[in-house]
Amino acid sequence: MEIPYIVSPRKDTGLFNSKIAIWLFLASEVMLFGGFFSAYVFLRLGADYPWPERTLPVLPGLINTFILIASSVTVVLAWAALKMRQWRKFQIFMGTTIACAAIFMALKAVEYKVKWDHQGVRLNDYAIIEGHLAYYQDGDEKRERNFISIEAESVTFSTSRHHRPWVRDILAQAEQRGATVTLADDIELLKERGGSPEKVASAGDELELGLLSTLKRAHERARANNSGVRTRNLRQQWAEAKSENPGKRGWELTATVDIDRDAIADDLLDEISSVTFDFSQPVRLDFDPRDIREGSSSSRLRDDTVIAGTLLDSPLHLEYVDAIDFQHLVMRAEHRGIDPETAITNSWLYENHEWVREVWAWHQEKVGALEQRLIDDYGLDENDNPRRVPTDKERYRIGWHDLAEKAVSEGRVELSAIDKIKEEFIGPNYAARGQETFPELEIPRDQIHFESKFTPAWNTFYAIYFAITALHGLHVVGGAVVLGYFLFFGRAMYLSNPEWLANRVEVGGLFWHFVDLVWIFVFPILYLM
Amino acid sequence: MASTPEEIQKSVRSYLIVFGALCVFTVLTVAVATWYPLESLIGGHGFDVWDAIVGLLIATTKATLVAVIFMHLNHEKKAVYWIFAGGLMFAAFMAALIALAFNDPIDDPFFYTEPATTSPATTE
Repeated sequence: MEIPYIVSPRKDTGLFNSKIAIWLFLASEVMLFGGFFSAYVFLRLGADYPWPERTLPVLPGLINTFILIASSVTVVLAWAALKMRQWRKFQIFMGTTIACAAIFMALKAVEYKVKWDHQGVRLNDYAIIEGHLAYYQDGDEKRERNFISIEAESVTFSTSRHHRPWVRDILAQAEQRGATVTLADDIELLKERGGSPEKVASAGDELELGLLSTLKRAHERARANNSGVRTRNLRQQWAEAKSENPGKRGWELTATVDIDRDAIADDLLDEISSVTFDFSQPVRLDFDPRDIREGSSSSRLRDDTVIAGTLLDSPLHLEYVDAIDFQHLVMRAEHRGIDPETAITNSWLYENHEWVREVWAWHQEKVGALEQRLIDDYGLDENDNPRRVPTDKERYRIGWHDLAEKAVSEGRVELSAIDKIKEEFIGPNYAARGQETFPELEIPRDQIHFESKFTPAWNTFYAIYFAITALHGLHVVGGAVVLGYFLFFGRAMYLSNPEWLANRVEVGGLFWHFVDLVWIFVFPILYLM
Repeated sequence: MASTPEEIQKSVRSYLIVFGALCVFTVLTVAVATWYPLESLIGGHGFDVWDAIVGLLIATTKATLVAVIFMHLNHEKKAVYWIFAGGLMFAAFMAALIALAFNDPIDDPFFYTEPATTSPATTE
């Protein structure tokens, strides 16, 4: 089939068809990204925590902006080259465009990786500590030293919801510590209607996935049977009630109609919703904090597995602390009419850690110097108040640049200029700066209100940041694939109908410009505001 | 739109000029946000509503340059303007709906627990 109007324009629109199509698509894209930017505004105006202003690294964002602008020029130059029938030039410009896309995505990947490796901890008093977790070697695996430990005595699995990898993990941990996991009680089930209960497993049987699967199947079969029996009986009860009470409405009968439990008792099979296993001796089990809701004597995993046992001390160990942020603590204190300074000096961090007091004193001096500089530069107003004052971020957040600056000012660690530029991309160089710049810290679990990596879970800023930039990144990849297709497979079309290829490149280029256009807004909004 | 080689050669020149302008605007947008002598001049010190306005104005200028020159909106057919303007207007309308959320009475701290002494019924 021949597609009409792909080279020559249609008379009514004056455009070739694919151009109309791409503009319709771009209009829908405007609305899509418009929606995301609206979400950003909504989240920012409604945030109940200090919005992280200018928290993303500006340098990679700036370089990515230049890269996208350059690629926008090269794609239009590639189109111009085709129009002038210069295939070689087209190849060079289009190749450059795709290379730009690759560099853009590589920088983006680095930016994401830094966030996924960076740990944030919000304490109960809303002071925030950021840093790098400690790791330990577990066999061949490098694991984070961040887990909830329980001295477990027994474990109860949900037969229908248990997550098999977690069961395996519990078994492996028990085995590693020399304990066996065995069934607590005999299990007898009525599996067939009219039959008699049969023994499925005996107390003392070892925990294995096969047993859990068998129980899951039996449970689900019994549930299906029982709900069918109940539904049928209830329908029957309704039919009888309706015929016995002609003229009455349904709602008038609701209170009296119910399942006849005695009548169906013989038709019901045994359900087994959970099954308990005992450990041969109390055994320490470690769990990822995000998978467990811990309690002093019993804790629950996300798959409804209940671990009975004593909760052990499970401090979170930060190998390097690279930021202390009192902004949220201060915001909450001010809401309650408490002086920020008092709130900070009463915080758990300040009270318990000498180095925090030391860093805070150093930071206060720095803020004082900034205050003075702003007064010197901008003066006082008619009421003798400074016209310009430091921001809350400058006052209450001590970031990794500050900690590094402090260490350098004390003559401790100095990095080469190249290493410093690297840090702007991949974050602080913990190994080179060491714990004299970024001290280690152990935080008791009961002081932690929330902890997470800098993922969408950390706060709504990161949620919208990842949503917008990932969606934009997908557009970059998609655009590069289409433009790459023209570059690598367009030669035949160029030889047979160069204008057709030029039109296709123009349409692909329009999409590419749109991707650039979105980034033109993403960069200042997410990185600079 | 440029179609002859001469015309295209001419527009290539404008593409390069726009590239330069976009780079300058990008540096400017970073400077007004982060460079102390400039950023404190716009609004107060640190981010405030003026920084948002200036930042978005520069971004809009850049976006306009891309749309008008690179995307050839300076000499496009009517149909394209209608389609694009439609999308823009719809997006703007949807964005304006956010205002509804911020005029929500639930934002009012006394919505649920209005003290008896200040309620209109008792003060009148």
